[in-house]
Formats: sequence, structure tokens, C-alpha cells
Amino acid sequence: MWGKGIITGMRITMRNMLRGPITVKYPYEKLELPERARWAVAPTYDEEGRPKCTACMACIRACPDHILDLEVTTREDKSKHIEHYSYEIGACMMCGLCVEACPFDAIEMSHDYELARIDPAELTYALLAHVDAAPAKRARPAAEPKPDPAEPAPAVPAEPAGEEAADE
Amino acid sequence: MSAVLSATPPVLAAIGLMLVNGVVLIYMLRKVLGHLHLRLGPMHVGPKGIVQTTADVLKLLSKEDIKPNGVDRWMYVLAPVIVFVPSLMAYAALPFSETLRITRLDTGLLYTFAVLSLVPLGVIMAGWSSANKYALIGALRAAAQQVAYEVPLLLSVLPVVMIVGSLDLGEIVAFQTGVWMGVVPRWFVLLLLPSFVIFMISALCELNQTPFDMSEAESELVSGFATEYSSMKFGLIFLSEFSNSFVISALAVTLFFGGWTLPFVPESILVPIAPIVFVTKTYIGIFVFMWIRGTLPRVRIDHLMNLGWKWLIPTSLAWLMLVGVVVKLVAPGGVG
Amino acid sequence: MTDLRDTVLTHALQAEGTFGPGKAPAGIKRIPKGVDGLATEHLVVNIGPQHPSTHGVLRLVAELDGEEVVNVEVAVGYLHRGIEKLGEHRRYHQLGTLMDRGDYVSGIHCELAAALATEQLLDVEVPPKAQWLRSLMGEINRIASHMVWFGTFGLDIGAMGQFLYAMREREALVDVLESVTGQRMMFNYVRPGGVLDDITPDAEQKLRTFMRTIDAYIDEHHALLGGNEIFQKRVRGVGIIDRDTALSFALTGANLRASGIPYDVRRDKPYSAYGELDFDVPLGATGDAWDRYLVRMEEMRQAARMIGQCIDGLPEGDVMAKVPKVLRPPAGEVYACVESPRGEVGVHLVSDGSDTPYRFHYRAPSLFAMQVLEEIIPGNLLADAIMLVGSVDIVLGEIDR
Repeated sequence: MWGKGIITGMRITMRNMLRGPITVKYPYEKLELPERARWAVAPTYDEEGRPKCTACMACIRACPDHILDLEVTTREDKSKHIEHYSYEIGACMMCGLCVEACPFDAIEMSHDYELARIDPAELTYALLAHVDAAPAKRARPAAEPKPDPAEPAPAVPAEPAGEEAADE
Repeated sequence: MSAVLSATPPVLAAIGLMLVNGVVLIYMLRKVLGHLHLRLGPMHVGPKGIVQTTADVLKLLSKEDIKPNGVDRWMYVLAPVIVFVPSLMAYAALPFSETLRITRLDTGLLYTFAVLSLVPLGVIMAGWSSANKYALIGALRAAAQQVAYEVPLLLSVLPVVMIVGSLDLGEIVAFQTGVWMGVVPRWFVLLLLPSFVIFMISALCELNQTPFDMSEAESELVSGFATEYSSMKFGLIFLSEFSNSFVISALAVTLFFGGWTLPFVPESILVPIAPIVFVTKTYIGIFVFMWIRGTLPRVRIDHLMNLGWKWLIPTSLAWLMLVGVVVKLVAPGGVG
Repeated sequence: MTDLRDTVLTHALQAEGTFGPGKAPAGIKRIPKGVDGLATEHLVVNIGPQHPSTHGVLRLVAELDGEEVVNVEVAVGYLHRGIEKLGEHRRYHQLGTLMDRGDYVSGIHCELAAALATEQLLDVEVPPKAQWLRSLMGEINRIASHMVWFGTFGLDIGAMGQFLYAMREREALVDVLESVTGQRMMFNYVRPGGVLDDITPDAEQKLRTFMRTIDAYIDEHHALLGGNEIFQKRVRGVGIIDRDTALSFALTGANLRASGIPYDVRRDKPYSAYGELDFDVPLGATGDAWDRYLVRMEEMRQAARMIGQCIDGLPEGDVMAKVPKVLRPPAGEVYACVESPRGEVGVHLVSDGSDTPYRFHYRAPSLFAMQVLEEIIPGNLLADAIMLVGSVDIVLGEIDR
């Protein structure tokens, strides 16, 4: 019968209407983001509240669009002081390559997605400013310290002494 | 003078009804379409978004009234008026109850159809006078469509007139009171189903509603013939469209669904609530229009013309002849 | 051309009552110019670039004779962002972020093309788990992309309901993609050497829930739009692309298969896990818009079938091969292609031994599909022009790159 498809279609829309809406009343209701969701880049801090960043510049090199920039001053005792770690969120594409590149887990992709600002100048801001960078050695406890080529090779473990002791 | 004075309250009532109707229908449309599409529609302005249409009307009133360069000035200004005024006039013969009407017309049905057929004129004027190719295409499509479907619209209701013997809408409703065999209401939709189907299809074409909304095909022509209109001129065109859908639905209810009567309810209860029954039935009809609007795709203009000229007109003529023969055979002395 | 083996028809896709090779639909009588002294003029109308339904910023300059389109010219370039030029200044593992933004609706497939090209240059073997994950995410993306096509196709024709129903399905899939990759659209998931990370149990749960209902939902969508007589009348026999036209315009994907040519990169040049998956490739008969619609609906069903196989058959192991941080492929050139929902997406990569490519070319299937529009639109009505743009499924990001 001509028209059967039309009537079936109308039954389908009525059925869907009676199922109820599926929308979420944002901003009164907000959905929870999955753990891996990548939104604004944010710095991480250790238990004492100090930033984990060691100013190694790996993230600066990793970013495809050159959004991150780090101004750092080095003191005489080789410790670094981060002057300004700027981040252009207006141009960031949230690819996460900077977070993947960081060897110290010093930055993470936060779940902050309400990023609209009225003034375009606010779209470039500092992730860290005027803080001491963390020393590189402290933040990498699991990694083996690389042998310095200038130093002599480390001493062979004292096995002969043990054998001598066992022989005795 | 007293004739003018005594005619003023009904006219004001008609205007009031039209405006209230517009407000309610716009909200209803957005809510119904929203729920058909798994979303909520307006929710913000007022509880459940009830005040939304008022806000929209205030916004329309406060908009700048743009007159684009190159439009034909008088036609541009006059076109919304010609679209709007016939819609208002069409309320005149609708029977809200036995006694409650704007005016009692012996030729109510003919008058309503005649007045509604002025609306395409306004549409063509609107499209032609806007200096816009899309508006022109929309207007010409509307011209072809609405003018073509006037014929089946009227032809399909002639069987009703033949059986009742009068063009007065009140008489048509009165004929449909009561039940057959104790169960089946005497509504014409059951007796003359093909008439109803043809009427519905032609009505959707007259109203420029999906699936026949080529003249305002949003995905092709943005707003069709009304593209270049802003502020209250657009408001008038818009309002007239919703008002037309009320009128056509009311006509369908009057002609086919018994108007303000209900089959099993005694007169004493029915008479005070008759207008409410009438308006409720009309709104159910409008809901069905919106349901169709939210579901069906658009018909192409040449398919539409084929449907109208090659299918609906011959069918309605054949049906008219059949009903005429049957009426003559069954009730040779004329039906009451 | 690869050897064209016989394919399996999963449904009878033979359209009935279609037109012959001529392009004009029935019912259009062309009045010759000068009849009864009537002088007529063609109207030149711009459809786009700002338009509710040109699938991006596409501009069609249409010459109209009344309602009939006599000639159409396609003008593109409004979305050009210099992806190929930017690619020359990106490292190889960053090319995925560029390809994502070409065909933004099917990001996994585009990233995969770039990753495959880089892997061929580096001669790296990808672990099996990563291969299966790539196929799984790819098929999820295929259904999501076809849902976008389905929704917007209906909108072009005027039906509004099924757009949001399609988005409901897509929302479930995009949620899964977000759980696994971290983003809803620009995934940056497929890398040279493997994928970013494993599928989470949460995502797997969501997928299994989705799999239970998807077949019923696709049937419902088909009943709502495809079963509709008005839709069928508008779509059957319109916009026929015959075999020769399809081949000469280098069409690929559903557009080509709807014209009857059985070429599918997943089956003819298998990559990732497609060699081990069991799927059918739907084939059309006449190449009209109705066949394209049916082919894509069937592709969705086959993709759902493949997702089921992938979830159940996911092997154990690493998700990423051992590749250095900065990739320096030896000098050479390679062309790698994948079957994206739009057709064959290819990457032609020329390396000069340094850490950035020398030349990075992105073969976009939508470009060819758009060019065939100039062939199939003339002779149809304006309403059909809009419908045909929707039926060949173009994405402007790919065309303009």
C-alpha cells in the first residue's frame, strides 16, 4: 500500500518522542569526563606543593604549533628559576604531545574545558611564573643515573672479597 | 452606527484569538518538534519556557525594520499585510459552538476558502518585491503550489456539502451530532474518508507545511519568500502562517470531526464546554500537522505538481461523482 | 587497478524502475527557447559558501532555467589551511594531528594513513594488538561518520527527525572514542608504530552495550528515512553515476561501489587487522543516489559486525612498537592508503632523511566526489542539486586541506 512507509515513519517518531529526551541540561547538569580526556594543559605539583617542572624544555620542543614558551634563569649553583612558562590556550589543539614528551610528569591534560574568555589577551597565560624549577635528579628516582664519561668506570663489585671470605 | 458598534467586540475577539493562538502555537511547535527530536525545546524563559514566545515577540518588535536596497517599495510593505489580513478574516465563519461565532454566514465554507485563497497573492508579492533571487524562487514555487491545490481543497469538501445541503458551517456541525447504531459517531471522516485524505493533503500544501514546504525550504532557500523581511513584517507573515494552520485545522474539525459536538455526551454538559471541545480538537489536529512536519522529508516541486494535477484532482472529481450518485439513489428527496 | 574479484551481495540492491542512461528525471518538459515568442533567461544563483546545507563551505554557482539546473560550477578553497605545507614543518609523529583536521569526521582513518606511510618508510612492524585496535577504532569511526552523513542527508531532503536520532547513535560512539583516545573528534590516537593506549574496560563496556542495540537502530533509521515513499521518489533514479564516469573521475569508496565497481581497500589491499576480519562489501547496481544510500547503510551494518569481531578477538601484547622519539626515516617515497568512510584516503610521503618530510601529500576522496557533481547535477532540479551534494558525502576539510 502506498503510504505505508510514511505511516511507519510517523510511528517511529512518536515512539522516540515517548522515549523522552536524551539531552543534558548544560550548564545545570554536567557530564563527567573520562579519565583520559584531554583539555587544558595544567602543571602538576608534588606533595609539598612545589611544581614538578625541571625546565628541561622537552615540551617546548614537542609542541607542533609552538604554543609553549619557557623563560628560565640559571643561578650559579646550577639550579633553575622559572621566570615565565607561557601557554597560548587560544591556539592549543589539545593533542597531548607535550604531556607525552615530559619525562617528569610535570604537566598534565586537565579536565578544564570551560575555557572561553572575553578578552583575547587572556587566552595566553602563564602556567608557572617566578617559581623555582625542581631539580632534575630528585624527580626521577627510578631512572638509573647515567655514567659520566669523564669519571673512571665504577669499581667492580667486591666479589673476590666475598669469595675470599667464603674460602676462609 | 450601532451595527458597527455591535460588530466591534466579535472582531476584537477574533484579533485576540489570533494573537493568543499565535503565541501558544509557536511555543507548542517548538516543544513538539523538540520532543520529537529527543530534545526539550525552550526551557529557560519562564517555567518550562512558557514565556519564550512573549520574549520572541518583544524581540521582533524591537528589531530594526530593514528595507533592502532595490525593493519595490509599495509591494514590499503591502505584501505582509495581504498575507495577514485574509488569515484574520478567515476566523469569521468558524463555529465555536451553537451560538458562539464571529458572525453567522450562510455561505461560511465558501467564504473561508475564498478568503484563504488570497494568501498566495501576498506570498507572490512578497517574493517578487524582495530584490533576492532565492525569495523569487520561493515565491514562484509558492505560486505554483498554493494556487494549484486550491482546486482539490474545495472539490474534496463538496461531498460534505452535498450530503448536508448547506454551506453554513453550523449546519454541517449540526448534521454530525448523534451516533449510528448506538456506537459509531456520525462524523464525516468515517463516511467520506477519501475526502478527508484529499483535504488533508491539500491543506498541508496550502499551509506550506512539510512535506510541502518548498517555498520555505530551509535547507535550500534559507527562508524562501520571506528571506528579506525583518521585524514586524516578518512577524506578520509568521503569525499569518500559524493562524492559517489553526483555521485549516478548525475547518477539518468542523467538516469531518463533528466540530464542537461529542458523540456520547448529553446536551446539557456539552453546551457550556462546546468551545473548549472545539479548540481541543483543533489543537489535536495541529499537533498532527506538527508531527508530520517533524517526520517527513520534503517533496520535490515537480512531484508535487504531478500529485496535484494528475492524482488529486481526478480522484476528487471521481469521488464527487460517486457520492453524488449514491446520495441521489439513497435519498432521492434530498438529505436533511 | 587491483584484480576485481566477485563480491558478495548481502542485500538485493537492485533498484527497480530506475531511469536509463539519460540524466533528466521524469516529468520535466523542457520548453524550447523562443516558443510563442517567449524570451527566457537563465538565472545564475550562488549556493553557498554560507548555506545551511553545503556540508562545509562549498560554493556552487548554478545556472538555473526556471527550476532546472543547466550548469553548475564548484568553487572551493574557503577552508584551505595549508595542511600539506604545514606537514613539511612537522615531525613524523606530529603528522597525525594535521591529518585529523583534514577529514574531521573520520579522524582515525586519516591518522592511520599517515602512520602507515611513516611505518613503511621506517620499515617498522606494528604489534598485533595495535593492529586490531586500529581496526576497531576505525570501524567505530566509520559508523560515526556514516551517521553524520545519514543525518545531514535527511536534512538536505527536509526530514528533521532522523538527524537527531543519528546523532544519538553517534554520541554513544563518540563517548567510546573519548574514553579510549581522550578527545571526541581530533583523536591523535594512531601513531607511527602503534596506537597511543589500550582500550579501557569502561570503553569496552560501553561498546558492548552499544552493540546490543545498533542493529535495531539502523533498521529503525532505514525504516524512517529509506522506507519513506517521498524520500524514495526523490532519490531513486537521480544522480546516476555510471561505471565509466565513476572510473574516469577516480571515485572511491561508497560512491564507486554504488556504481557497481567492487573496489574496497580493506579487502583488496588489506592493512591493520582487516585481513583477518570477516566482512562483506556491499555493491550497488545503477549508481543513483538510492544505491549510494543503501550501500552506506549496509556498510554501517558490516562495520557493526566487525566491531563485534574486534572486541572479541583482541589479542594481548603491546600497543606500541619500539620506535625512537624523533623519527628519521631514510630517504625515499611511499604511498599508503586506507579506506575511510569517504573513499580511499592516501598519503604520499617523500622523505629526505631529516626529521621532517620533504613532501607530504594528502589524497582526499571528497575532492573527486565533488568534481563529479559538475557532471551529475545539470539536468536536475535545484532541490536535487542540494540532495546530490549530500548523497556523495563530501567533507570540505578534506577538499581544501
